[in-house]
Amino acid sequence: PRPDVIAPPPGTNLLFAQSGRIEHIPLEGYDMKKHDAKAVLHLPEKVIIGVAYDCVEKMVYWTEITSPSISKASMLGGEPTAVIRTDLESPEGITIDHLGRTMFWTDSMRDRIEVASLDGSQRRVLIDTDLVNPRAVIADPVSGNLYWSDWNRDAPKIETSHMDGSNRRVLVKDSLTLPNGLTYDSQSSLLCWADAGTHKMECMNPSRGDRSTVLEGIRYPFGMTSFGKTIYYTDWQRDAVVSVDRYAEKETDEFQPQKRTRPYGIAAAYPQCLSGQNYCSVN
Amino acid sequence: DATQGRPDDCQSCPCPAGATCAVVPRTREVVCTNCPAGTTGKRCELCDDGFFGDPLGQNGPVRACRACQCSNNIDPNAVGNCDRETGECLKCIYNTDGFFCDHCKEGFYGNALASNPADKCKACSCSPLGTVDQQTSCSQVTGQCQCLPNVIKRDCSACQLGFFNLQSGIGCEGCSCNSIGSTN
Repeated sequence: PRPDVIAPPPGTNLLFAQSGRIEHIPLEGYDMKKHDAKAVLHLPEKVIIGVAYDCVEKMVYWTEITSPSISKASMLGGEPTAVIRTDLESPEGITIDHLGRTMFWTDSMRDRIEVASLDGSQRRVLIDTDLVNPRAVIADPVSGNLYWSDWNRDAPKIETSHMDGSNRRVLVKDSLTLPNGLTYDSQSSLLCWADAGTHKMECMNPSRGDRSTVLEGIRYPFGMTSFGKTIYYTDWQRDAVVSVDRYAEKETDEFQPQKRTRPYGIAAAYPQCLSGQNYCSVN
Repeated sequence: DATQGRPDDCQSCPCPAGATCAVVPRTREVVCTNCPAGTTGKRCELCDDGFFGDPLGQNGPVRACRACQCSNNIDPNAVGNCDRETGECLKCIYNTDGFFCDHCKEGFYGNALASNPADKCKACSCSPLGTVDQQTSCSQVTGQCQCLPNVIKRDCSACQLGFFNLQSGIGCEGCSCNSIGSTN
């Protein structure tokens, strides 16, 4: 084991959306305790796309497209509450800035990235130009950066900006087809993505720009999350959650739920927030 | 609730064969938990994302769930491509529109059902100077824009022979050339 890599703390769960419910898989170290997987939220009439977790209030947030909305529910039990219900058409990726107490999401029909406080107030459009099929969005509150993917068939790209939308630039545009999944690991400062068109999983250090392939021949990735050396992604063809050791560059495990249908967003839920402070929470 | 000691404590799941069910603790509502492949919902009455139908026949005859039918004008990488019950297409691409993405959207013309995306729907691009009310839409089939008097071409960008001053914005005027002194 590499000394620079810390395993997920005990009590960490993976959360993923599948067919109107959010399921969790407990982690033991990096391993999925598959026999303990179970549904934590039943929303049978909904199509849940993106999933995010707020480690401070222990709330799960999700985007939903049948009556386009963003909702939240406590992981400790409690009714789902809608936080954004208006001016949404196809909300997809969602991410939480647990330090700044905000959420960011993409909308693939309005072609924008928006931000709001976790209660839905102070909503603002961050990016509304040059987006065609925005999907994943990831915030790294410690450095104050935002990352997102756009699977536009004519010009797919991965972009970044500051968390206020300024300093926008393209990070990756070559050899990209359908970058559905995106994840940032602050321990290693690596941004990784999974592409359902090139069937590759790749990583780069956004400030250095060096790019490397983790795995080739993956089937149809959609959602993605990571912790230290392990990346977890949902796959539309395998109807499964797959774990990958990015240092060993190989698949380590697969969880196939009983229900054979496409899994969507995935997020990790930690028992406590990982330490960190950003410039916004200081002043 | 098996703790009451009555014969009707346990009831069969109100779900299609093969599905299991559970009681939501807070509301006492019964929901199906393992719906047959391709179906979802409290009673397995809905189709999964990307499919449409009425698997329990709640609004008429039973229609099994099948993939969205959108004239090859949707992208399989998109989510929410059609209404789960009616099948109405919600994410038409290639500038198509309509219930089945089967015609061109406003401001475009051509054959939405052509096999090559490049041959599907082209922009009307009506000339604002030569088009009635500066309309941006045109005939869905021929692409003909609605031209002002004495204006010609599909996009209303030229005067017909013997007329000039397209710039006027009200149509072209006759040249009024004297037939004796003119070559044509």
